[in-house]
Amino acid sequence: MSEWQPKILAILCNWCSYAGADLAGVSRMQYPPNIRVVRVPCSGRVDPLFIMKSLQSGFDGVLVSGCHPGDCHYISGNYVARRKFAVLKPLLEFIGIEPNRVQFSWISAGEGERFATVVTKITEDVRKLGPSTRLVKKL
Amino acid sequence: MTDSELKGAVLPALKKPGGAVRDFLRLAMEKELADAVILPMKVPSGDSFAWILMNDISLLDDAVPIAATMPVQGAKALRSLTRKGPGNLKIIAVMRPCEIRAAMELSKLGQVHPENLILATYDCPGAVQLQKYVDDPAGSEEYFAGMLQKGKPDDSAKPVCHTCENFSMFDSDIHFGYLGLSEKEVLVIPGSEKGSALLEGLGLDLTKDLQAWEKGIDQLKADKLNSRKSTFEETKAQLNGFNGLLSVFANCIGCHNCQSACPICYCRLCYFDSETAEQDPDALITAAEKRGGISLPVDRIMFHTGRMAHMSLSCVSCGQCSDACPVSIPVADVFSYVADQTQRTFEYTAGRNDGDPLPLRQFRKAELPGVHELVKDADAEVPSHE
Ligand code: SF4
Ligand code: SF4
Repeated sequence: MSEWQPKILAILCNWCSYAGADLAGVSRMQYPPNIRVVRVPCSGRVDPLFIMKSLQSGFDGVLVSGCHPGDCHYISGNYVARRKFAVLKPLLEFIGIEPNRVQFSWISAGEGERFATVVTKITEDVRKLGPSTRLVKKL
Repeated sequence: MTDSELKGAVLPALKKPGGAVRDFLRLAMEKELADAVILPMKVPSGDSFAWILMNDISLLDDAVPIAATMPVQGAKALRSLTRKGPGNLKIIAVMRPCEIRAAMELSKLGQVHPENLILATYDCPGAVQLQKYVDDPAGSEEYFAGMLQKGKPDDSAKPVCHTCENFSMFDSDIHFGYLGLSEKEVLVIPGSEKGSALLEGLGLDLTKDLQAWEKGIDQLKADKLNSRKSTFEETKAQLNGFNGLLSVFANCIGCHNCQSACPICYCRLCYFDSETAEQDPDALITAAEKRGGISLPVDRIMFHTGRMAHMSLSCVSCGQCSDACPVSIPVADVFSYVADQTQRTFEYTAGRNDGDPLPLRQFRKAELPGVHELVKDADAEVPSHE
């Protein structure tokens, strides 16, 4: 059997990080092929349950990325998202999800390189942690 | 209104605090300063209470303003009445502080419109656990009489009552205080302009200083804070790691009663009751094949943590969820502990009526530095939930 590859869901804001991913692509930057991208209108759209459900459905990690502070297309969605994640983070730890499995970042449309770095980072972090076994509990 | 200049009026309490409250309400209705009142009343079978909206003064005689147990959270009654708008009746609602606080949270969520309500609280000694009350109403009434006399909960009370620091006046319009006073008096204290206007309208003499009462409250509060600290330590140890949480909820039958009883969970269709929450059967089989075995159904811990993520910022630690659980899971102990943690993150106290919006409806530009920083030490163990 080939080596285990982490599967990571990347939930990206349409106005910044998604465009950042695009830029990384057209600039032919190299980054691991482990992410599956879901585009959202704003990181503020991300309900904590999206993250829990992804882990439950078999993803090994989740990346949520939105605009830098002050740059939100809807003015303040990313600030509110940060508050939601601040509530979610300790809860994830509470249920035994290692902190590195779920990461949040700010990536602008011009930061193709940063996008590649962030994706490489989370892929390697999750690879080290191994397959996610929480939420769908192993007996 | 600062505490030092706050004064109250003395009500004669020949019939114990509840009687004084009833007389007060009768007066307010007679003087047409209130169109109706909302109070608990014993149900015909005598083993429980129901919220009654009454505009007939004669019904007051059968009302029990300070009821021994709380079958339906009062905020739910207020929501059913005002969810579409304030209406034009002026209504006084007498409820426990945790019920008023839940109503405040619901009003921030647009589910309660308190404009025409006068929310009245009292020094809450705690509430008898519902199951205990139903099993033995007469015995429970005796326990409750004792609690009322001492002003604090005993073993028959809900566990959360022992750790409740908001058992007295908490942003209500008027408050009935009896702690620290002689058995013959009950203080009525205005908590808002609406409350002051009502007391003035009733011609009450607001000259009594509150020192004795405040001292009584402070003493009890200190005790409660201590037991809060030690109980939270215990809960924390009990919940340590995923297996701790699993064992607390091991017997959960997934009935979602805890959620239906919760005043904060007002959504008509909860995500967890929807088709989307269900796992795809094929995915379950794949997971079982990959892992050698999985437990079914898989969503219990998801349900509880999901609820924590959605509503713990507004949890008022009223304990209704524990009362509702058919398999005696201490749901409220867990939620109360988690709520303490999440509310602390934003220096928020659920139920505060100080114009401060819900934590997720506001933000500061520079805050919460840890959230977006990628975690540095990738090999770190799963930390305990500190
Ligand atoms: S979670 Fe439980 S304790 Fe908290 S508000 Fe809901 S019913 Fe009350
Ligand atoms: S009421 Fe008890 S058994 Fe029912 S879902 Fe809640 S915790 Fe589980």
